[in-house]
Amino acid sequence: MPATKTHVNVPRPYALLAEVTYRCPLHCPYCSNPVAVGSAVLSGEHVAQPSPAPNALSRLRIATARQGRAAHATANDGELTTDEWKRVIREAAALGVLQIGFSGGEPLARRDLTELVRAARDANLYTNLITSGIGLDDDRVCDLRDAGLDSVQLSFQSDQPDLSDEIAGAHAHRRKLDVASKIRAAEIPLSLNFVIHRRNIDRLPQMIELAETLGAERVELANVQFYGWAFLNRAALLPTYEQVARAREIATAAKARLAGSMEIFYVLPDYYESRPKPCLNGWGQRYLTVNPIGDVLPCPTASSAIPDLRFENVRARGLDWIWRESESFTRFRGTEWMPEPCRSCPQREIDFGGCRCQAALLTGNAANTDPVCEFSPNRASVDAVLRDVSSSSDHARKWTYRVNPKLLAYL
Amino acid sequence: MRFIMLMAANPISDATQPRIAKGVRLQVDSATGKTVLLFPEGIVELNETAQEILSRCDGRTLSEIVSDLAEEYDADPATLVADVRETLADLQQRKLIELT
Repeated sequence: MPATKTHVNVPRPYALLAEVTYRCPLHCPYCSNPVAVGSAVLSGEHVAQPSPAPNALSRLRIATARQGRAAHATANDGELTTDEWKRVIREAAALGVLQIGFSGGEPLARRDLTELVRAARDANLYTNLITSGIGLDDDRVCDLRDAGLDSVQLSFQSDQPDLSDEIAGAHAHRRKLDVASKIRAAEIPLSLNFVIHRRNIDRLPQMIELAETLGAERVELANVQFYGWAFLNRAALLPTYEQVARAREIATAAKARLAGSMEIFYVLPDYYESRPKPCLNGWGQRYLTVNPIGDVLPCPTASSAIPDLRFENVRARGLDWIWRESESFTRFRGTEWMPEPCRSCPQREIDFGGCRCQAALLTGNAANTDPVCEFSPNRASVDAVLRDVSSSSDHARKWTYRVNPKLLAYL
Repeated sequence: MRFIMLMAANPISDATQPRIAKGVRLQVDSATGKTVLLFPEGIVELNETAQEILSRCDGRTLSEIVSDLAEEYDADPATLVADVRETLADLQQRKLIELT
């Protein structure tokens, strides 16, 4: 390629995902958070041991209590401070960012969340809170609203308390119902977010109904994407073809039925597609993520999926330089990096070659065409996974619950 | 996050009062000077027509909005009204405005 990999025409970012902490009271096996954070590898006993079995919940409580004690002394180690986040927010706004999503982990685990929301509003950003709801009491809902919070996306695991709590690995469902009504009472716009997978996909109509009952403006039905913990738990989470086909019909019908009253946003199960998703609308085009320790990522899952890419940290560099110039943001920006079949494909500026993280996870090389694509020489790797799912009718395959990572201080 | 274009849909009465929906913000994008609508996980960049209409969605009725625009642009209200209806219907389908 010519040496003119210049940085003219660098697009401006529209949205910042602020992953303010990886701490979370839930243990959802579909979490896209990294299984290990940087060099801070989880204590091996949790990851290596076989999945929690029948009495999963009680065993998990013991495991997490143990983990909780161990992590207690160093819970905030390595996380950006309030002032560092405020600087990141100002720098993001100056770069052109219009929206911020406070996410995690569970963002409410940070006591300074209200202050960060206020800082984001002061920078004229549209503020979303993406939360499990655990920790959102009356006072906090009002504080967040008064700080200018624009919208809350509240996660649910299903419509049924027992199934939900089993998926979350915590008694959370009833508290979430209560939190939803608090959000309504505070008149903050509410979205319900469901991650859809093998164990809850057959409850889609009831989940949509729950969103209606709770008065949500919007519901996101996102088929699980396989990164982080979800990649580890893929065999237990991937739905069958029949489940996916039915879910699609239900979502399409509900979308038509509820048009104008509740918006339904359905995220496709991409393994079952023949063309890849237009991941991020192109690498380094519209989005950036800052993770709890200040690493700046083109995509939240890039740090775990693409280990050979070096990510910059806001403690060492300004956001503007990282976005425009850094290796991590420029490596897959545009179309120059593309191999065949993407390079000569008429779809190359429509799907951007799909997802770099997925290419890395499934083919070992982030620069490959996303193997979901029917033209990828690696499509067989996806088909093999799908064959394995359809050959088994066992819907109760075991998974490994997410546990909280221990962060190492940034060096 | 989706960036969506404005498209057509169905009719709205003259007395309808369109307002920007709860949770949606109309804002000038300082990077471009253009007006945008911000909402959960989404941004719509408004074309000039949509911007002119939305900036009048403050309690005015459809017929008031149309006559304001006709005056401002020295245009025929009868030809404007279809465009305004179309834009509003689309915004309503997307829950970006509320019709009362």
